[in-house]
Amino acid sequence: MTKVNLQGKSLVNTVMDFLITHITEYSYSEEVVFGHNIATIKPRQSPGQELLEYHVDIDPKPSEFSERKDFFGNNLTRFSIQKGHKRLTVTSACKISRDYSAIKESFYSEKSTQVTLASALDSLSVNTMENFEPKQFILDSILIKNSKANIKEYALESFKPNRSVFEATKELMQRIFTDFSFVSGFTNVSTPLDVVMEEKKGVCQDFAQIGIACLRSVGLPARYISGYIETLPPPGKPKLIGADASHAWFAVFIPGFGWVDFDPTNNKIPENQHIVVGWGRDYYDVPPLKGVVYSSGTSKLSVSVDIRSLNNTDTDGQIQSS
Amino acid sequence: MKVDVESLIENYFEGAAYDEMFQDNRDVKDTWKNLYEIIKKLGTEELISRQREIDWNLAENGITYNVYNDPNGLNRPWSLNLVPFIMHKNEWNKVEKGLQQRATLLDLVVKDIYGDRQLLKKGIIPHEVIFGHRGFLRQCDGIEFNTDKYLSIYAADLSRGPDGRMWVVNDRAQAPSGMGYSLENRTIAGRVLPNIYRNIHVSGQDQFLNDFNRLLMNAAPENKINPTVVVLTPGPHNETYFEHAYLASYYGFPLVRGSDLVVRDGKLWMKSLKALKQVDVVYRRVDDIFVDPLELREDSYLGVAGLLDVVRRKNVSILNPIGIGIIENSGLIPFMPAIAKYFLDEKLILPQIATWWCGQKKELDHVLSDISKLVIKRIDKSNRESIVFAEFLNEKELETLKAKIKSRPHLYVAQEKIKFSTVPNLVQGKLEPRNMVCRAFTIAKDKGYTVMSGGLVRVSSTKENVRVSNQRGGTSKDFCIIDENLVRTKVPRVDNTNTVVAAGLNDLPSLTAENLYWAGRYIGRALVTSRHLRMVLNQMANNEEVVNLEQNTKLSILLRSVTQLTNTYPGFVGDKKEPAVSNLKDELISVIVDKHKVGSLAHTLAMFSNSYYSIRNLWSTDMWRVFESIHQIWDPIINEDIKLLSYKKLIKVLDRLITRLIAFMGLIEESILVDQGLLLYFIGLNLERVILNISNFQSMLTVVTEDYIEYEILEAMLHSHESLNIYRYTYRSYININSVISLILLDTKYARSLTYLVKRLKKDIAHLPHSKVKGALQDYEKPIFEAFSKLRLVSVEDLMFVSEDNVYLRERLNKLLAELNKLLYGTSKAISDTYFNHVDDQSQLTRQKFS
Repeated sequence: MTKVNLQGKSLVNTVMDFLITHITEYSYSEEVVFGHNIATIKPRQSPGQELLEYHVDIDPKPSEFSERKDFFGNNLTRFSIQKGHKRLTVTSACKISRDYSAIKESFYSEKSTQVTLASALDSLSVNTMENFEPKQFILDSILIKNSKANIKEYALESFKPNRSVFEATKELMQRIFTDFSFVSGFTNVSTPLDVVMEEKKGVCQDFAQIGIACLRSVGLPARYISGYIETLPPPGKPKLIGADASHAWFAVFIPGFGWVDFDPTNNKIPENQHIVVGWGRDYYDVPPLKGVVYSSGTSKLSVSVDIRSLNNTDTDGQIQSS
Repeated sequence: MKVDVESLIENYFEGAAYDEMFQDNRDVKDTWKNLYEIIKKLGTEELISRQREIDWNLAENGITYNVYNDPNGLNRPWSLNLVPFIMHKNEWNKVEKGLQQRATLLDLVVKDIYGDRQLLKKGIIPHEVIFGHRGFLRQCDGIEFNTDKYLSIYAADLSRGPDGRMWVVNDRAQAPSGMGYSLENRTIAGRVLPNIYRNIHVSGQDQFLNDFNRLLMNAAPENKINPTVVVLTPGPHNETYFEHAYLASYYGFPLVRGSDLVVRDGKLWMKSLKALKQVDVVYRRVDDIFVDPLELREDSYLGVAGLLDVVRRKNVSILNPIGIGIIENSGLIPFMPAIAKYFLDEKLILPQIATWWCGQKKELDHVLSDISKLVIKRIDKSNRESIVFAEFLNEKELETLKAKIKSRPHLYVAQEKIKFSTVPNLVQGKLEPRNMVCRAFTIAKDKGYTVMSGGLVRVSSTKENVRVSNQRGGTSKDFCIIDENLVRTKVPRVDNTNTVVAAGLNDLPSLTAENLYWAGRYIGRALVTSRHLRMVLNQMANNEEVVNLEQNTKLSILLRSVTQLTNTYPGFVGDKKEPAVSNLKDELISVIVDKHKVGSLAHTLAMFSNSYYSIRNLWSTDMWRVFESIHQIWDPIINEDIKLLSYKKLIKVLDRLITRLIAFMGLIEESILVDQGLLLYFIGLNLERVILNISNFQSMLTVVTEDYIEYEILEAMLHSHESLNIYRYTYRSYININSVISLILLDTKYARSLTYLVKRLKKDIAHLPHSKVKGALQDYEKPIFEAFSKLRLVSVEDLMFVSEDNVYLRERLNKLLAELNKLLYGTSKAISDTYFNHVDDQSQLTRQKFS
């Protein structure tokens, strides 16, 4: 089977389908009388991605359940549990179709790569119908604000007025990948960015947010993308169930072209393995699950994500998540 | 009468500015002539005396304004200057039109910003002014409300500019304060200066009060006929708590805190004593980001988790709606003329302060080059800490400020510094000029907006001070609109009796019920403790030579009873860790006056004050008066040097305190209705009295001593119990243990006896909402029932029993008292569990803290 891409060239089928199961479980030391929750787990429509099937199962059964779109167009799931419980399990299962090859190719097009920082800032200095939405992503957000001078200094090593924004961002991604070490458990969702910058370690959401802070420091719109990534087992080993994970990366807005994704955790421009759930200004806008519970005890969280590719894939190396 | 005009205004013209009363040639302006004449005629002494009367009235009525971190604690009295600010109706008409126009515009702005954002798309407002403002809540995007207007309540700060017109200085919409204060100002000023108010023809505010009531009632979802309206307050520590309580009690709406409310089944409910009661309208005094810890600020305990979703479903109306904070935005000022043109094709009626938004290059350059003449503000912060008068900064500070602006220019505006007009203020019998700011209140009515006649005026604390704020010790003025053609029409008072608001004990908010219960317990504790301490002080005063308790069995028993009653171990008893204290006087005095000692009388009185303050919406004026006098008696004592306190002095203080406490209790009983929760107060009060009496009986009646000591102990017991006269009347005999126990433990008709109090408790508890179930007793009814039965089943002779094993102890009496003690604590716990602890603590699923 072949498919015609935008340029009219004939290609092999680049569409990939995935089955994703995402289980979040909270266990409580004391009974929770009731609680209200919001989940951002239903993948949104986004370029190169189609949601074919989706199902969410919540245990215990919620007394209220509703879905809506938020300000950024993400799918929010709101539910309340009114009976006492000591364990909450949210299981979402979806089938996604991805075809990112043409999009990735367009990232390398002249329209994208020819835009210099100076011309980008020039385009952004006026307000137009096209740029007024993206421009809010230049501003401070809840978790990325009042960045210190060292963020801008770090960014300026890559960003020069006459350099292509695309090239500079790609280099920034590489530098974050090289300079920062992936250490899980060192940070949590409320670790300030300054600490990450200082210690140069963290996980995917920290790296994504460092990238965003750098881009905003030079005046470019940048957004946070929350999603999943398919990890591939070492050659010859079977894939373990639940080994995949939630993932996060960032995107930069190139005026005249649009948004381009970068994954600093893997030093990789996302392809089909990067499945998008939602986006916002930073993690705060798209936490997978949050809630207010009424209980006197403590809670323990466990998360597992499993991604099954429905096609045979050729792999391109190890992928790191989270 | 002395007319001392010269001295009245002798210092007035030192720093000349545009003045409200005087023209440049020092003639009095026409509008003010009448008032000035009256003031002049009153004369210095009378003015001072009237001002004192106002101050006294404010304190008497408990009108307070809390200052955060105030070393003087809560409840700083509100201050109102005798000289009102007056404006002629002709001028006010224009201001009124300007306010209506501005409210209309800001309403359209909010609808647009949370709707399809044409203002941003068309470039009328730069997006940063909205997207960069912390008050823009993305969670509220696309929300629709039950009310036609989004901006229902709007307050504007106005000042007169150098051109003689009233200028808009600030827009307030989240939870504007001042309405209640301005009503109280009017009431009190009118009371103290009736002749002035009659002669200058002041327009009334009654119609506005009725309109406000109608606004809240009509906001209910699906035009519900008798909606439940609540006033949501952050609590007694909020600076304007007085006003929340005042408005709630004026309209008869329950005053609630976030923890009184809960979201279930997509609706908002108030936790009341009987069950959950659906809430239709919330008049909120909590700022936007604190109202919903699920979707907004995670660490807020002032709101209700899930509230925003109830709003989204249109199952409740919040006034003003959540998200309205976006119009408290000085970044909007430069764009208001364009907004007026876009929406209404009109010019702004009210001028605004010249404002430059730094998000534009030209404006930024101007601001940076001219900065020292300007006032710098953040667009989303209007508290005075974020307002910088650049003229007062040194070189280095200016550079820092400039760098701050340059790094986030869109967050700042610069405003022209102008000299606002001054008004005459009465200061120590003389008039002095003070800068003023007026706050005017506008609310939605029918198709448009209506404005309160006048409003609230605040003036700076000193002549030099340019900033005007109540937090910094400024004072307030009544703001009167005068109209010589005024025809007084009688406007009927608000009548909410047909609505179901707070209709009966079942609907009593749980938190109010709990506060009333504790109010009862603390006053009971204060009274029993004071009486007991007074008795012990008297005994000590007569035996000052005793320094060692082993010398004196009687004093030993009495002092130990103090420690047992107040639970201030080791005290005179000692405990496992520490022996009994050796300095008797120091310990006894500290049990009375050391407020840091848990259980001391001072501590109990502090708890008593706190619990009363949180139910102040239920108070009558007389209650305030007595409450104030309790403080006047008590406060000097706890701040005095302990070494200077004598037993005699403390006895006198306790005498006075006890009388006031009893007066206060009497007033509570006649001021608060049973349906408003008086039942809970009685349960708390009597429970406490019973528990403390049991403690005293254990300390003083179970011990067998020599006859002459026993006699003195019994007499002391009767003193402490305030039953000596009754005893003498009833028994007409030498005091003996049998008769004492018959009277103060077992008598069924004597109102102070334990049996009587327990019976009363049993009866009151049976009136609680859940008690009215046929058949078995509720869990909280059982222990009190058992206590009553035990008391009825014993005989005096039984209780006198002393065994050969321990000839110093009346063991059956001791056992009975111990059992009763346990049963009473059981009652207390069961009532709390059933009625007060509706839910457990609120916590975030994921521990995260963002600010």
